[in-house]
Amino acid sequence: MARARINNQIRRLRFDHGEMTQEELANRAGCTRQTIIALEQGKYVPSIELAFKIARAFSVSLEEVFQYEE
Amino acid sequence: MSFKTFTVIKIFVVIIMAGLVGWAVVSGNALIPIPVALAALVILLLFRRGVKEVVVDERIYSIAEKASLVAFRVFGIAAAVIGATLVALGQEVVPEMEPIGFTLSYAVCGLMVIYYIAYTCYKRKYSGKK
Repeated sequence: MARARINNQIRRLRFDHGEMTQEELANRAGCTRQTIIALEQGKYVPSIELAFKIARAFSVSLEEVFQYEE
Repeated sequence: MSFKTFTVIKIFVVIIMAGLVGWAVVSGNALIPIPVALAALVILLLFRRGVKEVVVDERIYSIAEKASLVAFRVFGIAAAVIGATLVALGQEVVPEMEPIGFTLSYAVCGLMVIYYIAYTCYKRKYSGKK
């Protein structure tokens, strides 16, 4: 089975939102800054709930933040 | 309160608790460590409530789950093998090893029972059937 990968645009979206800090995003999404760092580095795939919270923090749809690639 | 402040308080509480427990052991009073440990636990829980920032999130839980699974597997296999070896040694060579081997083996059995119960409960909880 081919390995699936979930990419994200968190770093770019933070930049687009006035260089939002990782701390601020973490507070808005209700997670730790270390989780945001892990997400940006592609080391961690979030739950659906956290993915929605992050998308909501940027006021964009889920697909604009996370992309599924096979 | 920030998490950093809480960490400093936690270190102080642990140092005080360790000192008191050490003193109790040296003075031969075995009852002191229990209330000291409970008091430290309550103090830490009270201070923990004061921390406003998110300290534990799903990533931490995910890491803890994976670590628990690894610990469970390693302990289960190691204890089963060592337990069986000690029982065999106890019956053939060193009789003192036998109760230790049985203790380890029963611990593994207990662990498996707890795992099975927890697995069944979670399977029911997350099952789609009514």
